[in-house]
Amino acid sequence: MEFRWDLVWSSMPTLLSGAKLTVQLTSIAVFFGIIIGTFAGIARLSKGPLRFLAAAYIDVIRGTPLLVQAFIIFYGIPGLIHRPIPAYLAGVLSLSINSGAYVGEIVRSGIQSVDKGQAEAALSLGMSNYQTMRHIILPQAFRRIVPPLGNEFIALLKDSSLVSVIALEELVRKGQIIIGRTFRPFEVWLAVAMIYFVMTFTVSRLVNYVEKRMNVNA
Amino acid sequence: MPNTPILEVRNLHKSFGNLHVLKGVSLKIARGEVVVVIGPSGSGKSTLLRCLNYLETPSSGEIIFQGEPIDPRTNLKQVRQEMGMVFQSFNLFPHMKVLHNVTLAPNLVRKTASKTAEEAALELLDKVGMAEKAHSYPPELSGGQQQRVAIARALAMQPEMMLFDEPTSALDPEMIGEVLDVMKKLALEGRTMMVVTHEMGFAREVGSRVIFMDEGVIVEEGTPQELFENPKETRTKEFLSKIL
Ligand SMILES: Nc1ncnc2c1ncn2[C@@H]1O[C@H](COP(=O)(O)OP(=O)(O)OP(=O)(O)O)[C@@H](O)[C@H]1O
Ligand SMILES: [Mg+2]
Repeated sequence: MEFRWDLVWSSMPTLLSGAKLTVQLTSIAVFFGIIIGTFAGIARLSKGPLRFLAAAYIDVIRGTPLLVQAFIIFYGIPGLIHRPIPAYLAGVLSLSINSGAYVGEIVRSGIQSVDKGQAEAALSLGMSNYQTMRHIILPQAFRRIVPPLGNEFIALLKDSSLVSVIALEELVRKGQIIIGRTFRPFEVWLAVAMIYFVMTFTVSRLVNYVEKRMNVNA
Repeated sequence: MPNTPILEVRNLHKSFGNLHVLKGVSLKIARGEVVVVIGPSGSGKSTLLRCLNYLETPSSGEIIFQGEPIDPRTNLKQVRQEMGMVFQSFNLFPHMKVLHNVTLAPNLVRKTASKTAEEAALELLDKVGMAEKAHSYPPELSGGQQQRVAIARALAMQPEMMLFDEPTSALDPEMIGEVLDVMKKLALEGRTMMVVTHEMGFAREVGSRVIFMDEGVIVEEGTPQELFENPKETRTKEFLSKIL
């Protein structure tokens, strides 16, 4: 059996439409992940009872597979609330909640990497905890957060393939569909791999660029 | 109330876990006084200063500032605005230009209009000899320059009192003078200052009172003259013989 390049090319339009969904899901998830993660990371470092809630959230999500989380949201929760959750929403939810936990840890360690003297100086000037966080700690933590956040984005691009199991036609699911039609797994999976690589490579270059830009005016 | 002290500390204790660091410190500071705190390493000088603005929460005791007991639930932020602090490690905000370092707190906390805050900041930077560096970032400055900016930043809140925790200890010897000069200038203006330092020259020259601390208590206090020329306590004598 010889390798059929033409099949790689002809599956591209379908695969790319799947890749579009992959990028979309991942971007939305990272967006909400950053919001959830910022709160979770700050809450984990706070003194109030929220600290335990945030710790539990982060530990449970990081300690269970994304696949199982997606199953719980797509198959489990509808049974509880007696109505189905659309696949797209379930996908976005599970990826966001998952990402939020990882981003939470990134934010926490970013905040902790800022010298304690910074907060003390701000507080000694009469600034509130919120003002100190917003103007002094987070902007400095952010510089250190960008690289691991980029890694998280890349990891999520790849892990989003897991939501193909809840009938979302992202990149992997499109590949499976084409294979069902053509019976040529090697060419199709190779094409899928190529697209993933182009996406992750682009993101990692972009992160490098942003990182360099920030170091210039540090 | 010209006779009430600006600051009064009553029987202050502070422990870190099992470590009893401050063991009943009481003191009064009058308006316009420059109080210099000396003592061996680990005697609790920094801890005392940091309790005054509640960067450390006292274990017990009372701190009365401008006639009111400090209470973290009510007046702490207000107190901090009136009690500037200068740190050994400067703690400038590295992601902001010098000017922004000085205007930030007046802007956010005192709600001073940007333009007014900037004018005031430039004036203060000029006073500490740093106006030319207003648009530099702190990491581009020498230690002495950073510390002078830090002093301007604290002054920008127009505090009633200033705390200095070993402001020259992290500096190369050739930069100590420029920071001490600024501090002397403030002292001569009649500002109330509490200064932890090993610079005995500064203590003699501008100190109105010197407090010697050891092992979490005030061992002895007096005018620089009294304390340096005629120490009464053996511990004071021992300490002074080591450093003078
Ligand atoms: N946050 C903290 N947690 C635990 N122990 C602390 C803390 N801060 C200070 N200590 C301890 O309290 C004691 C007094 O420290 P402090 O910094 O007040 O001394 P100091 O007189 O300022 O000394 P130095 O001249 O070295 O600055 C030391 O034994 C120190 O290790
Ligand atoms: Mg100290």
